[in-house]
Amino acid sequence: MLKRFLLTGLLLAAMTSTAWAQRTITFASDCTWPPMEMISEDRECVGFGPDLVNAMAKAGEFEAVIQNTAWDGIFAGLASGRYNAISSSVSITEERKNAMDFSDPYFEVKQGVVVRDGSDIKTEADLAGKTLGAQIGTTGYFAAMRIAGNNAKSYDEVGLAITDLANGRLDAVIADDAVAADYALTNENFSKNLNLAFLIEPDEPEYLGFAVKKGDTETLELINNALAAVKASGEYDQIFKKWFGGE
Amino acid sequence: MAEKQVVIDVGDGAALPRRHDRGLFSAWWISLIGALGIIAYLCISRPDPYWRVLKFLPDGIVVTFQVTILSILLALVLGLFTGLGRISKNRVINLIASTYVEVVRGIPLLVQLFYIYFALGQVFANLPDSNALFIFLKNMPPLVAAVIAMGICYGAYMGEVFRAGIQSIDHGQTEAARSLGFNRAQTMFYVILPQAWRTILPPVGNEFIALLKDSSLVSILAVSDILRRGREFASVTFNYFETYTMVALVYLVITLLLSKIVSTMEERLNYYERR
Repeated sequence: MLKRFLLTGLLLAAMTSTAWAQRTITFASDCTWPPMEMISEDRECVGFGPDLVNAMAKAGEFEAVIQNTAWDGIFAGLASGRYNAISSSVSITEERKNAMDFSDPYFEVKQGVVVRDGSDIKTEADLAGKTLGAQIGTTGYFAAMRIAGNNAKSYDEVGLAITDLANGRLDAVIADDAVAADYALTNENFSKNLNLAFLIEPDEPEYLGFAVKKGDTETLELINNALAAVKASGEYDQIFKKWFGGE
Repeated sequence: MAEKQVVIDVGDGAALPRRHDRGLFSAWWISLIGALGIIAYLCISRPDPYWRVLKFLPDGIVVTFQVTILSILLALVLGLFTGLGRISKNRVINLIASTYVEVVRGIPLLVQLFYIYFALGQVFANLPDSNALFIFLKNMPPLVAAVIAMGICYGAYMGEVFRAGIQSIDHGQTEAARSLGFNRAQTMFYVILPQAWRTILPPVGNEFIALLKDSSLVSILAVSDILRRGREFASVTFNYFETYTMVALVYLVITLLLSKIVSTMEERLNYYERR
């Protein structure tokens, strides 16, 4: 028994020894943001983000570990060094740039407004005085606060906000357009009575980036080089097509 | 003719231990002055995050108080009926009360909150607008859901406290009251409960404080209590350390004040020591 145990250990060591030279980058991701990142029925984190990270790991020759982390506190974990980077559809904002460093942008987002079918909300002006929901600490929530002030409600997960909207306790939910479209148009529970009303036109384009701890240039360089390689090889377009159709 | 006076010497009563937490150097005062002092020091020395966090919290404090007080009232009512039900000789009542305690005690409060707000919300959303109750259930504000969930949860715990308190009163009291012609209800409300209250109050006070702290769980329902206000502040500013330090201190001050109220009530009811 002991012999077999040792042999297995040796075999494992031999298999992984090649990888030891490689750098391991741990990415934190809040897998409640379909279709960017979500938990599959096999309990794995799947979606556009994880696919991109895995492709980058292959191209950049590092090992990527994706760690499912609650959104609330995801930035605190990065600051305290619990993981090396965040791959969780983090929008690059000026405020966040003060607290962390960002990779090159990998995705452009707009904020989408989800409403119930038959709602009379058609434009941003219609949102005045309405009760809006969004996930805490997301750019969608910041937009909701800007529009609705104290009528903006923050939820731990965007799914809970969507549930409250479907149950009739909110007038609209604001989230990244890909996520909003996923809930409103393709989700089997919600697409029946929810609708993507419109996209909020931003003052300047909003991009997603990978966040790293402030001053961690080594990780940032690895990520940026890998991202450039994935984009150049055309793999990025394949992943995009896989999750968002053939646009 | 002067009436003959009968003096009954009741002695010193039961020997209760003296309280040692009197004066300024009690643990309570040290905690309170310490917490307030730290809050004041932080706000003055680094007003940028600390004072800004504190200014962000007041409406959260109001909501926390609302949730706590309403839940306590609901829990007290439920607890009293459950406690009485648990010692009832009526099989059906006893069984209902016992089942309630067993079921509710076995489900975490957080799960109950999710269940009552999100799971039942989905059921309520499909109700027709046929009567006022249905319309209310459909539009149940999160605060109401939070109070119902916390009241139901703590009602079960309170029920056990009430039961234990009532059972701690010597059976001779019941016999004496019944032989004086009191019926069951009169015995309970005029003889047993007034005495049991003294035994019940300390654990009930503990439940109050536990409930106030657990009210931070309702922030999961997007109720903007102290914790959610703090999280909203931290999510924008990334000042996690400063925010949660302040949130912790604010909760501490509030629970300290509540514990003082409870211990004052205890002393008032403590006839023997008061002399």
